Amino acid sequence: MIRFALCLAFAIFGASLSLAQEEASSKDLVTALSSDTVSIQSNFTGTEIVIFGQASDIERAPHAAGDFELAIVVEGPPQDITTRRKGRFLGVWVNREAERFRNVPSFYAVASTADIGDIAHRNVLDEYRIGLNHLNLAVSGVSNVPLSDRDDFRKAFVRLREESDLYSERETSIEFLTDTMFRTNIPLPANIPVGDYKIKSFLFNRGDLVSQTEQTLAVAKIGFEQVTFELAQNYPLVYGVLAVILAIFTGWLAGVIFKKD
Amino acid sequence: MTLWQARVFNQSSLTLSQSYLQSVRRNPVQLYLPIAEIPVNIFVIFAMGGAVGFLSGLFGIGGGFLLTPLLIFSGIPPAVSVATVTTQVVASSASAVMTYWRRKAIDLKLATILLAGGVFGSLIGVILFDVLQSVGQLDLVISLSYVTFLSAIGGLMLFESIRAIRRRKSGIAPSARKPGQHNWIHGLPLKVRFRRSKLYVSVIPVVGLGAIIGFLGTILGIGGGFMMVPALIYLLRVPTNIVIGTSLFQILFTMAAATIFHSMGTKTVDIVLAMTLMIGGVIGAQFGARMGQNLRGDQLRLLLALLVMGVGLRFAVDLLLVPEDFYSIAIRKGAGA
Repeated sequence: MIRFALCLAFAIFGASLSLAQEEASSKDLVTALSSDTVSIQSNFTGTEIVIFGQASDIERAPHAAGDFELAIVVEGPPQDITTRRKGRFLGVWVNREAERFRNVPSFYAVASTADIGDIAHRNVLDEYRIGLNHLNLAVSGVSNVPLSDRDDFRKAFVRLREESDLYSERETSIEFLTDTMFRTNIPLPANIPVGDYKIKSFLFNRGDLVSQTEQTLAVAKIGFEQVTFELAQNYPLVYGVLAVILAIFTGWLAGVIFKKD
Repeated sequence: MTLWQARVFNQSSLTLSQSYLQSVRRNPVQLYLPIAEIPVNIFVIFAMGGAVGFLSGLFGIGGGFLLTPLLIFSGIPPAVSVATVTTQVVASSASAVMTYWRRKAIDLKLATILLAGGVFGSLIGVILFDVLQSVGQLDLVISLSYVTFLSAIGGLMLFESIRAIRRRKSGIAPSARKPGQHNWIHGLPLKVRFRRSKLYVSVIPVVGLGAIIGFLGTILGIGGGFMMVPALIYLLRVPTNIVIGTSLFQILFTMAAATIFHSMGTKTVDIVLAMTLMIGGVIGAQFGARMGQNLRGDQLRLLLALLVMGVGLRFAVDLLLVPEDFYSIAIRKGAGA
């Protein structure tokens, strides 16, 4: 099934690429995904998404420092995430200060052809949020964190997200198949949040943004996982009663099976 | 696109799909939890349920106070662990309640009044749980409560069982408790007669006891039988032949209420995790119960006391040692928080 879906995706990509070929002269950059949905089922342990593309007329000499550079950003749906710091209180380690980051991506991965700092000026990188150092980590107004420590919280936040594989920077991971065609793999870990992901590709020429594309990737639970999750979210009373009935039934069944007399 | 380019694409698609299939085959035991939103090793969870079930059968306890910490220490989010174990406790007490029901060893009137308190306590527990989660102090309260209750009760049990073993070795018969002893509880107003337990006692301590156990059970993910049984015996003087059935009856329905409250409030009950734990638990309990018949009561209590204190100590160590990472992150939504 997966193999079939992938083959289909590549077939569609091939078709779209040959179409794109005709109008390539007007378009600098075309990209396609190996799949536009990621389905989470009971056996889900993570997967990866492959992004293919063609940047026409880039005349990129391999193994030489090119004038053209690429960056591809995969961004998950925004979330509010709280970062907390422990401190000692009456001899016990407890959470003391907290900083709330608003509307930060729940997943963020960037792949590029060169070190991110060398691709473009930092203003450009900040504007398009390319690279972990260029994310817009807005904090909520209420916070007990002293101003001097705010940067520590940002660093800790990014580090913890990196440790859980939800944020990553994959410099020079874009691989050229021909002079103009490229490909990169972005691993999606098992703990990825569900929702609509944005995949943005940027083509730079000597630090100037020449062209960009944007695609969406849907990460969704399907089948039993979806039904269970939606029941728990939308009909919590039914879900709770169902859990109780299931538990009592299991207990009763065990009592019947293992009855001693 | 040239033929050569097309071949490159076909090859890469083939290697990709093959490596993906291999990675799926390599992890056939991983099970994705729909509410916790993480994959877990199904055999590890099953074994945990089985091991705790074994101990609960061995000692005649619910085992929630062992299962919840075990899940937390293995990386399941604390909120999911606590809420899911309340469901598991329903299953593990259900078959026992049926046995006591058939033997008519349940004081229904006493259990119902305890239950009324239990449901109320559970409701307060879920509300507080949510508040603590949003201010980031839930883990602290869970840890502190485990340290306090487990070391206190474990210590008392240890003391009592050592005394019992010494007494048995020195051959002195334990002094029988005199019937009809009264304490301050029997002086409270709103007295009700419980015929089955041969008691005439105020409803205030009964409702209060139910509420405390329901409250703690909901916050800590425990049935609370190890607190309820001594309280019923020593505080209310309920006859021992009725205590366990009545306590189990109250736990079954309080935890059922806690499951529903957690489903509606924190939305962290993971039915797949609960089911795996239940199946492991009921099987383990059968082996435990059989083994328990070959061990002496005071030896069992000594082992249980050490176990209870061990879990308490484990939480204390985490609170006192300098943490490896001072920072932590939390997402404010139902699961994964």
